[in-house]
Amino acid sequence: MKREMQTADIEQFLYREARLLDEVRLEEWLKLFTPDGIYWVPIDDSLPRNRTVSIIYDDALRREERVYRAMSVECASQSPPSRTVHFINNVMVDRVDGETFEVRSNQLIYELRAGDYRQVGLGQMRPIVATVDHRIVLSDGEPKIALKKILLLDRNGALGNLTFIF
Amino acid sequence: MAEPMTSNDASPGELVQITDKAFRVHTRAYADADIFRLEMTRIFGRTWVFVGHVSEIPDAGDYKTSYIGTQPVIVTRGKEGGIHVLVNRCVHRGAVVAREASGRADHFTCPYHGWVYGIDGRLQGIGLRRDGGYPDDYEAPQGLFTVPRVETYRGLIFASFNAAIGSLDSHLGAAKLAIDRKFNRSPQGEIELRSRPFVGRYRGNWKFQAENIVDGYHFLFVHAGFAKLQGRYGDSTGDFGVHKGGSVDEMRKIRGRGFAYGCRQGHGMLLTPAPSHMSLLEGEFGPYFRELRDQHGDDEFQWIAGSAAASIFPNLGLIHHQLRTWRPVSVDETEVTVYPFSLKGAPDAYNEGWLHSEERFYGPAGYGQADDVEIFAVNQQGLQGDAQPWLVLDRALYNEERVDQDDRRGNHYGETPQRAIWRGWKTLMSQP
Repeated sequence: MKREMQTADIEQFLYREARLLDEVRLEEWLKLFTPDGIYWVPIDDSLPRNRTVSIIYDDALRREERVYRAMSVECASQSPPSRTVHFINNVMVDRVDGETFEVRSNQLIYELRAGDYRQVGLGQMRPIVATVDHRIVLSDGEPKIALKKILLLDRNGALGNLTFIF
Repeated sequence: MAEPMTSNDASPGELVQITDKAFRVHTRAYADADIFRLEMTRIFGRTWVFVGHVSEIPDAGDYKTSYIGTQPVIVTRGKEGGIHVLVNRCVHRGAVVAREASGRADHFTCPYHGWVYGIDGRLQGIGLRRDGGYPDDYEAPQGLFTVPRVETYRGLIFASFNAAIGSLDSHLGAAKLAIDRKFNRSPQGEIELRSRPFVGRYRGNWKFQAENIVDGYHFLFVHAGFAKLQGRYGDSTGDFGVHKGGSVDEMRKIRGRGFAYGCRQGHGMLLTPAPSHMSLLEGEFGPYFRELRDQHGDDEFQWIAGSAAASIFPNLGLIHHQLRTWRPVSVDETEVTVYPFSLKGAPDAYNEGWLHSEERFYGPAGYGQADDVEIFAVNQQGLQGDAQPWLVLDRALYNEERVDQDDRRGNHYGETPQRAIWRGWKTLMSQP
């Protein structure tokens, strides 16, 4: 049973997560999280949870709901659905505490909704630029996400459609 | 029905055609850049426009930047406690003087040539005034352009460029009912903006948002997916009892108990009583609800505890526990800001429950608002097909009642609120 991870293992883990998202294997993506894991896209990460809304703040059930919506619910903002390609760079392990790893990466995510490119909002490539913090814990030797915090570069400004998982 | 207009010089008021049986709006009212420019003077330059809430500028020196149509303004709290609304443009050569969304200042300095203005907008100093560039008796301008009228209603700050306009109170008219019922959920009758807002933009005309926030018709179509999500998850993921009913049919039934209202001033409302207001009195927040019931009486309590949505012409929306404002950027671009509010004196857990419910439905990743703005863009694009240019807003026109002079009351699923907006629009756009 693995008790530690090298930077290369952590990078591979981040790539694997990104690949599940890009290939829309969302049920598998859900399993990467710890049961009390949080998927968080803040507007202002300096304010406490009871003080402000976030763009996304998902516990396990909310993540399941988000995946259910993406896979099984017809809605205008995802008809047709988004495709994404993640690029991950500048991976650094900021802190190791026993079996907990605080990892920061920079991510450039391109998003596009395929379909008739002449229709508004479709066929248009959008870059999403973010600093991403992962708290990864080893659970029975398996790396799991306890926290994924996506700090969008443009989080304080006017944002477009973010109804896909990134 | 009038013939489709082909000339750009027809009176803009004729873009809305009203008979007893039909209510039609011309494509140009949403899609013509000349009409948009005219709206900025005839509507935003002329009526009361929402610019902020008092809780954003509680103390002397506090300010926020805002807009009246396409005019950038600064809303400030003066030393004597009054509110000033100033055009955010140096009187010297026109640069923006306040570049932060909000802050505290005792003066504003123009970044170009150092002209300095007080928090009330008065010119306090001119960069290098005494180096020989100006005579000793130089008559400097007074200061930043001061928007002549500023009034508040229950903390909502409105301003008008029209010095001769009537009172804000008479402009709001019956729409005060929606504001009162929402804010009366606070035992102190006051709201506060504490959360960061959601900000979004869409490629469509500003009136799509003005219409949509009080559109009972679209919910069960655009948000049918959301209704499916509700059927499966209900309150378990933080809806906080906001969207009652586990299916489209059930939601339709609950909403059907309410009614739509159109104010002659251009505001639309949807008001629905709480489906089970008595059970609230015994629930988790019983003491809080009992206090409200005792304050307002049984009958009014069921409306306070129910749902209210309003589109206050031209740029303020109220729905759920949020203020919403839409800013016209150009004929086909609009910025929307959603400000979740908290109720002063309500239990912390109650405010927090609402906050996280807003998060689930609204914002760029929410399960409702993202679908609405998608439709606004699709709507704008569809208007390119203008061979038949008239939009049809006839729903529940035939059984709409005329009440209180020239207001209208109609079916919850009708287009009474949208017609009210267009009546307000027509009145202002018809005046040269």
